Amino acid sequence: MDTAINSSRRKFLVSSAGGFALGFVLPELLSISEADAAATGTQVNTWLNIGTDNSITLTVGASEMGQGSFSGLAQIMAEDLMVDFARIATVQGGPTLANPAPVGSAINTVGSSVTRRNYWPLRDAAASAREMLIQAAMARVGDAARANFSVTNGVIEHAPSGTTLTYGAVAAAAALLSAPVNAPLVPDNTFKAIGRPLRRVDIPAKVDGSAKYGIDVRLPGMVYAVIKHCPNFGGKLAATPVKPSNMIAVVPVSVAAGTGRGTETTSMVNAVAVVGSNTWDTWQAAKRLSVKWTLPPNASALNDAQFLADAQRLATNATPYVAGGANPPGTLYTVEASATDAKAALANSAKVVDATYTLPYVAHACMEVLSCTVDYVPGVKCDVYAPTQSARSVLALVVSLTGLKESQIKINTTYLGGGLGRKAETDFVSQAVQVAMAVKRPVQLFWPREEDFTRDQYRPMALIHAKVGLDVSGNVNAWTYRNVSPSILGQRGSVLGAKGDSQAYEASQDLPYAFGARLTEWVSHPSPIPVGFWRSVGASINTFGVESMIDELAAAARADPYDFRRRRITDPRWLAVLDAAAQLGNWSTPLPKGRARGIAIGTAFGSIVAQVVEISGSTSAIRINRVAVVIDCYLSVNPDSVDAQLVGGVVHGLNAALYGKQSFSQGAAQSRNFNRSRMIRPNEMPQVLTKIMPNPAVSDRSIAIGGVGELGVPTLAPALANAYFKLTGVRQRSLPFFPNATMGGL
Amino acid sequence: MPTYTLNVNGQNRTVTVSDGGMPLLWVLRDLLNLTGTKYGCGIEVCGACTVLVDGQREHSCVFDVSSAVGKNVVTIEGLSANRSHPAQKAWIDNQVPQCGYCQPGMIMTVAGAMKAGHRGSEIQSEVKNLCVCGTYQRIKQAISSL
Repeated sequence: MDTAINSSRRKFLVSSAGGFALGFVLPELLSISEADAAATGTQVNTWLNIGTDNSITLTVGASEMGQGSFSGLAQIMAEDLMVDFARIATVQGGPTLANPAPVGSAINTVGSSVTRRNYWPLRDAAASAREMLIQAAMARVGDAARANFSVTNGVIEHAPSGTTLTYGAVAAAAALLSAPVNAPLVPDNTFKAIGRPLRRVDIPAKVDGSAKYGIDVRLPGMVYAVIKHCPNFGGKLAATPVKPSNMIAVVPVSVAAGTGRGTETTSMVNAVAVVGSNTWDTWQAAKRLSVKWTLPPNASALNDAQFLADAQRLATNATPYVAGGANPPGTLYTVEASATDAKAALANSAKVVDATYTLPYVAHACMEVLSCTVDYVPGVKCDVYAPTQSARSVLALVVSLTGLKESQIKINTTYLGGGLGRKAETDFVSQAVQVAMAVKRPVQLFWPREEDFTRDQYRPMALIHAKVGLDVSGNVNAWTYRNVSPSILGQRGSVLGAKGDSQAYEASQDLPYAFGARLTEWVSHPSPIPVGFWRSVGASINTFGVESMIDELAAAARADPYDFRRRRITDPRWLAVLDAAAQLGNWSTPLPKGRARGIAIGTAFGSIVAQVVEISGSTSAIRINRVAVVIDCYLSVNPDSVDAQLVGGVVHGLNAALYGKQSFSQGAAQSRNFNRSRMIRPNEMPQVLTKIMPNPAVSDRSIAIGGVGELGVPTLAPALANAYFKLTGVRQRSLPFFPNATMGGL
Repeated sequence: MPTYTLNVNGQNRTVTVSDGGMPLLWVLRDLLNLTGTKYGCGIEVCGACTVLVDGQREHSCVFDVSSAVGKNVVTIEGLSANRSHPAQKAWIDNQVPQCGYCQPGMIMTVAGAMKAGHRGSEIQSEVKNLCVCGTYQRIKQAISSL
């Protein structure tokens, strides 16, 4: 028996098959490029199963890429189900679709969204399940007084009689009941799981080699394919190469829709896949394979110097957006403008600070290269094994590529060896499916590291021109800010509205600073290099521009950078985070010569974050000594996971700020492996201190929970540049600090 | 097509390869189905592919399979039963992994250092493998107890 229950806050599906199963729809961010149909009553993406053997299983639709999603969700579930966290087994779900099958039931894992967006729905679901199990126990015991029943770790006790019943004992009966509409939640002050540093469930498999990533999938009879792209973006295959005698096939593969592809057009052949019997031999054959490519006519203009020149031109001269117009790349969008004309207000400023900041393209460089395994039988099935952040997008893609029905397709999300936004793209999945359709046997597609670096969908380059005025008292009376950068959404075919690309302007608007008149603009840069979602996306770019400029203003006003911010921040939560960071970072403690601190604050994904970076050295060499990070995410489920994400974000931010850069010549990426893309190593790790603003005593549903996974990144670069200015007197307006750094072998 | 017999995790395994220059990494992963050892860079910069050969740390991405004949190869799968190696225990106690992809290489690097008689801060200064998740702080904490 299935009963669908709808209420304003939740959609549940109860099933009696094999004990008690409660299915419910967990929300997700809307698909970036299209709004999806609303979830229907039978469309279920997450299941809680309670077996008659007392097993408790939570099927999770999100992807696990190191952020601790599985554990976080299980922890939330444990609280209101009133069971020990350790009893909940988590299983990776997929985009399993009900019939009729609307596309889109698995969760795309983007936007630091998993825990925060699922928190309340999961608690409601767990509370409903608990109450249904108790109702079943009440019927069994024959006492209708709810107050006579309590639960301890999944055991229901009837106080008057002393009778105890396990969840498993009443699971089958509970499945026949209707879910209550307003099951009470466990009060915050009695939390046993939420807010505790419980150990993550995925860690044991990650210390003994048993965790299976996309690249570890092994199917019977599987062959191996290695991708070889045209090295130049925009280039296409001139002639199908001859198959090497020791290989199984050479398959031309084309660009798929729905992924960042610069100006490459759908169905253009931009790569070949060599297919052989193992990775190494196939890779060597791919390296030796002679392939003729046709370069795009504008190849000579696809280089760093031209991209920068275009950005400089657009920083002063761009055509404004026209509603309903074509608005081609190069269009100027107004993100926000105060009633008072900010440009005019600059004329009244006592002092004007004019600065231009530049950021390069940056690769994701996940430790696990892109890989996807496909078992395709024509007309019968297509099983996909992918380290994907976008299981549902993958499903839709496979439907369109194979023509199979959704019911014939199975998407298996493996562990991700890093995601960072790169594995939200589906280019590698499309290629693997194309190869599988050509060779008609199980095949694993492998991207060598060189392909991973040179065919990324990079963090967009950006040029930010800010011109800001201070009045005689050092207050900001006019703020003008223009970011010129390629459009992530535009490259995916989205029609941009009057404000432009939200991914590009995020963290540059609605800033809670007293700025007087303000004008914030964004210009879409026409570069055809593919761009994509890189951990913290626009916040990683704009926070550098904004917080560097704030520091320049403080210097112009001869004010302490922390105190300057303090006096101009208008949001009490921002102020509290800033104060906490200053305290954690020992801001008021004097430093010896040759050592300096910098501070920055910002926001992303609904959280507020501030950092104090302490460095030593000189212009020729710096050492990062200490980083203090404070986050206000309103409510944290697992503080140890939050700490891990913030510390990791600091490293990611350092790698990008110090060294991260992809250069282009003739449209070909120049850094091809880690030796040309330096990163910090364990022995260079600074001390990182983290603080999470305390959870509310009584949490309020109407206050948004903030994201965590990407929050360590955005404030690192400006805090570092601000420390560097304090240390050396040199303002680093261009990232990275060391663009030509290389990395030797181990 | 040469055939080699290797001792991997205490067992003799026979493999046939196209030539003896195939790196041990791909023999382990593709021919012996030991996928715990990871590919990261292929050029000895990241350390994800680290295994022990006769107790020495080696980067299996550039270690010819022919050179492993007659030697004892230990991979993450063979490091211990039930995650009982002190490094594995320390990794769990300190909740080190995030995505976890680089961690087999990290742990094998530490295991090799311990086998060489190194301890604590000495090992800290030796471990230079890359982790893009940035788990370095916890790695250092975990090693400090070894």
